[in-house]
Amino acid sequence: MADFDAIVIGSGMSGGWSAKELAERGLKVLVLERGNEILPERDYSDQIPPWERPNLDRVAQDEIAQHYPKQYGGVAYAIKETTKRFWVKDDEHPYAEAPGTSYDWLRGYHTGGRSIMWSRQTYRLGPQDFTANKLDGHGVDWPVRYDDLVPWYEHVEKFAGIAGSEEGLPQLPDSVFQPAFALTCAEQEFKTRVESAFPGRNVIPARVAHLTQATAEQRALGRSNCQARNVCHHGCVYKAYFSSLNATLPAAERTGNYTIVHNAIVRSIEYDAAAQRVIGVRIIDAQTNETRFYSSRLIFLNASTNASAMILLQSKSTAFPDGLANSSDQVGRNLMDHVSGAGASGLIGGFDNKTVFGRRPGGIYIPRYANITEHDKPYIRGFGYQGSATPLGNAGGQIPGIGRKFKESHRAPGPWRISIGAFGEHLPNPDNRVTLHPTRRDKWGNPVALFNVRYGENERIMLEEARKDAVAMLEAAGCTQINSSPVTLTKPGNRIHEMGSARMGRDPTTSVLNGWCQAHDVPNLFITDGSFMTSSACQNPSLTYMAFTVRAVNYAVDLLAEGRL
Amino acid sequence: MKTRREVLQGLIISIGGASMLTACGNVAEVIASDTGAQALGFYSDQELALVARISDLLIPRTETPGALDVNVPGFLDGLMSQWADSNTQQTHHRLLASLGQMLGDDFVTATAEAAEQTLQELDTRAFEGGSQYRGYRSLKGLITQSYFATEAGALEEQHWVASPGRWDPCVDIT
Repeated sequence: MADFDAIVIGSGMSGGWSAKELAERGLKVLVLERGNEILPERDYSDQIPPWERPNLDRVAQDEIAQHYPKQYGGVAYAIKETTKRFWVKDDEHPYAEAPGTSYDWLRGYHTGGRSIMWSRQTYRLGPQDFTANKLDGHGVDWPVRYDDLVPWYEHVEKFAGIAGSEEGLPQLPDSVFQPAFALTCAEQEFKTRVESAFPGRNVIPARVAHLTQATAEQRALGRSNCQARNVCHHGCVYKAYFSSLNATLPAAERTGNYTIVHNAIVRSIEYDAAAQRVIGVRIIDAQTNETRFYSSRLIFLNASTNASAMILLQSKSTAFPDGLANSSDQVGRNLMDHVSGAGASGLIGGFDNKTVFGRRPGGIYIPRYANITEHDKPYIRGFGYQGSATPLGNAGGQIPGIGRKFKESHRAPGPWRISIGAFGEHLPNPDNRVTLHPTRRDKWGNPVALFNVRYGENERIMLEEARKDAVAMLEAAGCTQINSSPVTLTKPGNRIHEMGSARMGRDPTTSVLNGWCQAHDVPNLFITDGSFMTSSACQNPSLTYMAFTVRAVNYAVDLLAEGRL
Repeated sequence: MKTRREVLQGLIISIGGASMLTACGNVAEVIASDTGAQALGFYSDQELALVARISDLLIPRTETPGALDVNVPGFLDGLMSQWADSNTQQTHHRLLASLGQMLGDDFVTATAEAAEQTLQELDTRAFEGGSQYRGYRSLKGLITQSYFATEAGALEEQHWVASPGRWDPCVDIT
């Protein structure tokens, strides 16, 4: 008799969904979280006003150098004195990079994982994203098509709550929306001018996982509408943005079928060669160093793309000497992210007598048009832009003058500034990989990750073109003082959209998972974090993780009920 | 025992805040007579006087509190003591020394009107460009950010709203 029906490894974006759906289907579920417990009432800092945050909410520079050199280098905008608890200390959680490469592994270990700190941009993949590999030969073909996923997108969108506008764009299908955060007047003008100058390009409100018209189901979980404070990286006592902590884990808990254990660092997933099944998870307690074993009939691996690959690679056995479910040798390979580092900004005139009220969580989005509506590109795939046009404000003090006039100038909204930046697709490449470092161990004795990830020529050419396109659109919109720095590609990992380390595919010899996120080699093992992604597309991927997760759970529980696991 | 910030707060109050500074002008003398060196954390007497004078001239008391009313110099002293690493601290010391030279020996002790004219001239040059003025612009930014991060600066001067409750994307300025 197993301890639990199912073990979910990781409580973040996808792990929360696994826990909720499994528990709601009646399974006794154990969630293993390697980090500490986060209690919103104790650990969120969104209610602390600016004047109560010490030192302008800056983390001491010596502390950054000692504990957060990688994390802060990657996401300085999010790591504040009152939010640093949500980010790992690099010296406690080190990783290595292959010579000549650099990688940002930006993360937090606690209840809810990075779903607490994400930036909440939420888009479906489009039909073209599931056929791209097949058509241009990069990677392997997805074993799933867009239509397979539609009901599952709808399922998660209704529960999570997505603010957005119906646009009818085939390459960026509409979600089940709550009302969008409307475009500013400058954004509306930009939209009009860009869409006129570039037919086939669209400027739309960013789609974000924020409640703007909370449903009864969402209110029952204590969630309410976004208050337009834009303090999301501190947590949200209104539970207005979607996170595991705000939504899926409480939903799992109310079933009575849910248990979570914190500080549980996975040492290995145990495999029974005779049964050809995984039978449980061996963990080490992060605080006591005690080792424990939990058994289950089913395992959902949701530790995050890099960590899940490492767990598989650590879980060696006679049957799987190169790591669990790794007969294809694809575990840890094809590691992808999105690539940024190209864009433009400028001033957009005509709105001196206008301002905004509130601080919305998103801005504008320009969906992919390259190789969708425009086919003259020197690269394959494409990119979308995120951005905004808002009053610049004067809070930085970088305007001329002193005295009363200078002081009171800060009451004015200032000129309107528009900025757009590209998020491009990263082609799958088996040489881009995470492996176990051959000698280095962390403080708990687990191998540290070794990253070897590079961008290719397609990404470089694409981002150069994205910069030119950005300037052209700002020029077409009549912007002035346009600034567009030379392209400097973000480090792999920096967009925090890691994907692909256990890709799904039709062929067990070239992929780790089948179309149900089920390991080809191990029928009762499912992986539904970003690991399964066969290509990266260019849209922010969390919504797709959610949809694949609920689809996989439904499939797995059906199999279990039918005695086929 | 008072914290350094409390001591500095008292210091600023003891010299009467913005109105006293702009009225009597002699900041360094007031500070030197009212406090001992042990009261200061990061700044020397001279540095504190310089920062206080610049803060006062940049963001004076009007219908709302000024930079000295909310103790921006003390805030910066704490920032440099608690947040800055040794490199930033040394850079900041050098910046103040350089600024002191640019503004002249009598900037701190000059009348308010004279000091205001001197700073205005520096500010004009700084925004015309020139790498030698980066330090001044940096300090100006720090003073301004610090002021608007205070309760009075945020609420009384800038009418900052903690919880807007709604998003209005296009509001007429009346």
